[in-house]
Amino acid sequence: MNVIVNRVAEFLKHHPPFSFLEKEDLELVARQVEILYLEKGKILFHQGEPAQPHFFVLKDGSIQLVEKTPKGDEIREICEEGDVFGVLALLGKRPYLLTSEVLEDSLVYAIPVEIFEKILKENAQVALYFAAGFASGQVVIRQDLSQGQKARGLFKNLKGDHSLMIFSDQSEVKVSENVLTCPLSTPVQQAAQLMAQEEVSSIVMVDAQGFPKGILTDKDLRVRVLAKGLDLKTSVQDVMTTPVITRKKSDGFSNLYLTMIRHRLHHLILTEDGTDESPVIGLISDHDIFLSMGNSPAVLIHGLMNTLDLGEMRKIRDRAEQMLLYYLDNEVSMDFVSSVMTEINDVIIQQAIRISRKKLQEQYSEMDKIKFCFLSLGSEGREEQLLRTDLDNAILYEDVEEPFKEKAQEYFLQLGTAITEILLACGFDPCPGKIMASNPEWVQPLSQWKSYFSEWILHPTQEALLKVSIFFDYRSIGPHSSLAEELTEHIYQEIRKKKVFLNFLAQNALSNPTPLGFFKGIVVEKSGEHKDQFDLKARAMMPLTDLARLLVLSHEVVGINNTFRRFEYLGTLEPNYSELFTQAGKAYEILMRMRASEGLRKGNSGRYLNPKSLGKLQRQLLKNTFSPITELQEIVQVRFQLDYFSK
Amino acid sequence: MSTWKFWKKSPKPKDFVAEFLEKNSEKIPAIRTLDQLEFVVLDTETTGFDVEKDHVLSFGALKIKNRKIRVSESLELYPFSDRSVSSTVAIHGILEKENRVTLEDFSEKLLEFIGNGILVGHHVGYDLEMLLRILKPFGLNRFPNPVLDTMTFAMRLDHGPFADLSQIQKESYSLDSVCERFGIEPDDRHTAGGDAFLTAQLLQKLLVLGEKKGIRTFKELI
Repeated sequence: MNVIVNRVAEFLKHHPPFSFLEKEDLELVARQVEILYLEKGKILFHQGEPAQPHFFVLKDGSIQLVEKTPKGDEIREICEEGDVFGVLALLGKRPYLLTSEVLEDSLVYAIPVEIFEKILKENAQVALYFAAGFASGQVVIRQDLSQGQKARGLFKNLKGDHSLMIFSDQSEVKVSENVLTCPLSTPVQQAAQLMAQEEVSSIVMVDAQGFPKGILTDKDLRVRVLAKGLDLKTSVQDVMTTPVITRKKSDGFSNLYLTMIRHRLHHLILTEDGTDESPVIGLISDHDIFLSMGNSPAVLIHGLMNTLDLGEMRKIRDRAEQMLLYYLDNEVSMDFVSSVMTEINDVIIQQAIRISRKKLQEQYSEMDKIKFCFLSLGSEGREEQLLRTDLDNAILYEDVEEPFKEKAQEYFLQLGTAITEILLACGFDPCPGKIMASNPEWVQPLSQWKSYFSEWILHPTQEALLKVSIFFDYRSIGPHSSLAEELTEHIYQEIRKKKVFLNFLAQNALSNPTPLGFFKGIVVEKSGEHKDQFDLKARAMMPLTDLARLLVLSHEVVGINNTFRRFEYLGTLEPNYSELFTQAGKAYEILMRMRASEGLRKGNSGRYLNPKSLGKLQRQLLKNTFSPITELQEIVQVRFQLDYFSK
Repeated sequence: MSTWKFWKKSPKPKDFVAEFLEKNSEKIPAIRTLDQLEFVVLDTETTGFDVEKDHVLSFGALKIKNRKIRVSESLELYPFSDRSVSSTVAIHGILEKENRVTLEDFSEKLLEFIGNGILVGHHVGYDLEMLLRILKPFGLNRFPNPVLDTMTFAMRLDHGPFADLSQIQKESYSLDSVCERFGIEPDDRHTAGGDAFLTAQLLQKLLVLGEKKGIRTFKELI
């Protein structure tokens, strides 16, 4: 290997998928690399352009992948050293979905697709690596050793290849053996009727010998028949996808899956000998593959919906944590991760509500008709609860007339207690401040909730402001969310009447302890259980959540609870600060990621971390998240005139 | 250069040299843009710094086409030598390579590789002198190719096209210093291939910089 090839290989070998390559293959790839130097502002490829015969690895610099939408540019990913991107060229052979813009002068290694296709065929590990990336919707293939990842995927244990984790047991992929077929001349309506009868999403057209000639799917019916307004008597052969791609069952999971990914197939037909000149014996759909991935969100949610057994629910929530670990390790976007985890938490709560109501139904049959909603507060309210940290919740029910008042109070307290117990059984921690639906103070009718909030807004004492930080992020988990909307309306009315409340809130938002000391060092706890550790929650995350909440309230925004989405939205409301808000949102995502990783690693809430255990780069990354805090605080200081505000 | 060599009748060029000269007979049009130019970035490691006494231990080169470094078009050669290498081994860390090539093989491979590309190197005049020592016996007395020295190119970009290069501190334009200034990581230093690779990355950056200063065509570059 000559020095130059060797040098390229040395870099590549630290970055998956290249790290899975044998020495000979690695050399083969390294030998074919082309190196591009791109200055800031250049575009490597444009959205919609046909794929180049290369995919790319960022050697140095910074490149962002942007989606051009009618509403403007949306940054989908920022590539850092070692990130692999533009991979659609490799797998999909489709035009680029994103535009790559050079943020900082960058050195890019271009790897010919041709050489890699061969490797994909021969190396299952590499193939699955890409497949896994695609399955989780990544646009960038990341790994553990690159600088950026090291920083972002803090604390990652290098214990082998997690990318394979999502395939819990590959041999368990279900192949449908009763494939629905019809002759080529079948009218589309009849084909659709057959599909409806069999409850399947595809039908295969076969000739007289049973050889597959085409396939028609739900989507084809929608796109090619209904949208075009074709006659229902149109024969299927005029609208089917043909020719079909076929494989044989013994090809093995990874090959089958990869075939589907390469050809963008949702359904793959299996025949006796693998060609289309042989009878159909099976069909594999991406849904089947989906189900075989034990830790996929859809499967977990499906599992939760179908059990009322607490042990089972707890197990599923534990599995969700495994999935979370996989997501964090693989740099899946925080937006996606938090949405998925929130959905899972919400389903657990909804199930808990169902179970509890059922249990109380007999005893309180007349109470079951009273409208109520279960409120998630704090981090779960903000859709940010990744780990099962403290429960903060409450119950809000509609006002009831006198004779039933007491009974209702009793019923909802019992209901709230039952729900809380179930959540504790599912592994959530109780709230130390007892802000839970098992506390009579927080199980109240709408009128009482209104007066709580009015009181806090009118008399923003220190204690009230503390409550505000938890209660203002409420989110209804159902069943009657309209009650929560009514409460929100009330709160904005009250704030409008007493604008000065926002100034108090602002002052409170600025009173959080600072993350950096005088000499720009990360401030650690001076004493106590967490001596010498950094309080990620109080010093970095709370300032951001408080600022986001304040600004969102000042704009009377409703329905956006998530801190980074709040910042994103604020960016649209205040375009002159949009960059700062974007940064703040990104910083918050990084902090969430750090905290969840630390928590999963240590089996705790992840709130405290030891700065000394961080590498230089990780420390810098952490410090970088602080800079939007300071800038935002300055803006708030001025905007809410805190200098003139009595302290 | 001693006179007897100068007057020594050049041997009849070998076929591969003739072929090389033929390839170079066609000149590059002055208006050809940078993207269209083919650069051969090269470096040699030698036993010392005396063109007369020392000789080439290793040669490394790679091509830049359409501004892209082509790793696939890279070459590393270790020519045989009849001299002792002990004096520079310590500095350059080059040990006897198993697969050394004869000087004729070396020359043939070298010329075939560089073709009519623009020869680029850091302080490249020295490398070319050293290479010619090997090539002369086969009938090549000078390189007909256009030559671009990244050292003087960097100086030009810093100080303007009419700067008196003799007044500029050479040390701050060594490959190490320039690479450092341009943020190019200098590993594998002091192997011909490694230095050629560094120089190629440097050239990529210099071309971008040059373009900003109005250097867009072959004529403006050379």
